[in-house]
Amino acid sequence: MIKKFIHQFASPKTYLFQVNKFYNYIFFISVFIYISSITWGLLFTPEDFVQGNSFRIIYLHVPASFISQSLYAAMAVSSIVYLVWRVKLAAYLVIAIAPIGAMTTFIALISGSIWGIPTWGTWWQWDARITSTLILFIMYLGLISFHNSFSNYEKADKLLSWLVIVGAVNIPIIKKSVDWWSTLHQSASITLTNKPSIDPSMLYPLIGSIIGFFGLILCLVLLSSKNQILIREKTKSWIKDYV
Amino acid sequence: MFEFAFNSFYEAIYMNGHGIYVWSVLAIVCLSLLVFFTLYSSKIKQIKKKLNEPN
Repeated sequence: MIKKFIHQFASPKTYLFQVNKFYNYIFFISVFIYISSITWGLLFTPEDFVQGNSFRIIYLHVPASFISQSLYAAMAVSSIVYLVWRVKLAAYLVIAIAPIGAMTTFIALISGSIWGIPTWGTWWQWDARITSTLILFIMYLGLISFHNSFSNYEKADKLLSWLVIVGAVNIPIIKKSVDWWSTLHQSASITLTNKPSIDPSMLYPLIGSIIGFFGLILCLVLLSSKNQILIREKTKSWIKDYV
Repeated sequence: MFEFAFNSFYEAIYMNGHGIYVWSVLAIVCLSLLVFFTLYSSKIKQIKKKLNEPN
């Protein structure tokens, strides 16, 4: 029953038509949320007592960092779906997400480094959080190169999915690195279990920026997966009707 | 909560010397998003154009 459900709703054709239906709504709502939250955070929140105005980088760094890890988790789930139920769309999603994951990890690393200059006095430190994030970035690049090195898409999808699942071990390491090791990087300001450690005037725009950035990244994933479907399904008759 | 945090436009740009860090990160984020949106949109257009061409 689950198999039937997944195959019915995860056919590339159905997915493509659904993407076209909802894309504009998601895009414009996300742009609105992101711009308003960033403006709120950068210009209307009070200055931080310890870090001064450099703390405002939080509204750009945290969403990128959070989403870079979430995208990898999404790739791992898609890989499992592909390997277990042989859903083609899941395989397309894995390779569609990878470049966007690399981009968000790049933003997280660069913004963290820039933030480190005024706060830590250094742009780089080989501490657990930063190093594990760098490994995530290298993993994304490696997975893209690995997939591109194959001419046989089916073989590439299968091997890539296994690699993604193995690499998922890095996600809890990144998440827990600040608790397991003594790091320069501060511990999480927002967690699901504890009360946020930052003031609500700073917290609300942060939540808004995470939601807005998530929406924009979702739009990029939709575009990238659409791109993958058009390439991989180009010989199918329904593609001609779609185009 | 919605009070402008600075006394002037210049102060908002300068941010007590931290403006260069904050605004450069914003520029990197916006540029990255813009590049990726443009790249994927143009790729889709190219593929559609190719598929529409008569064989």
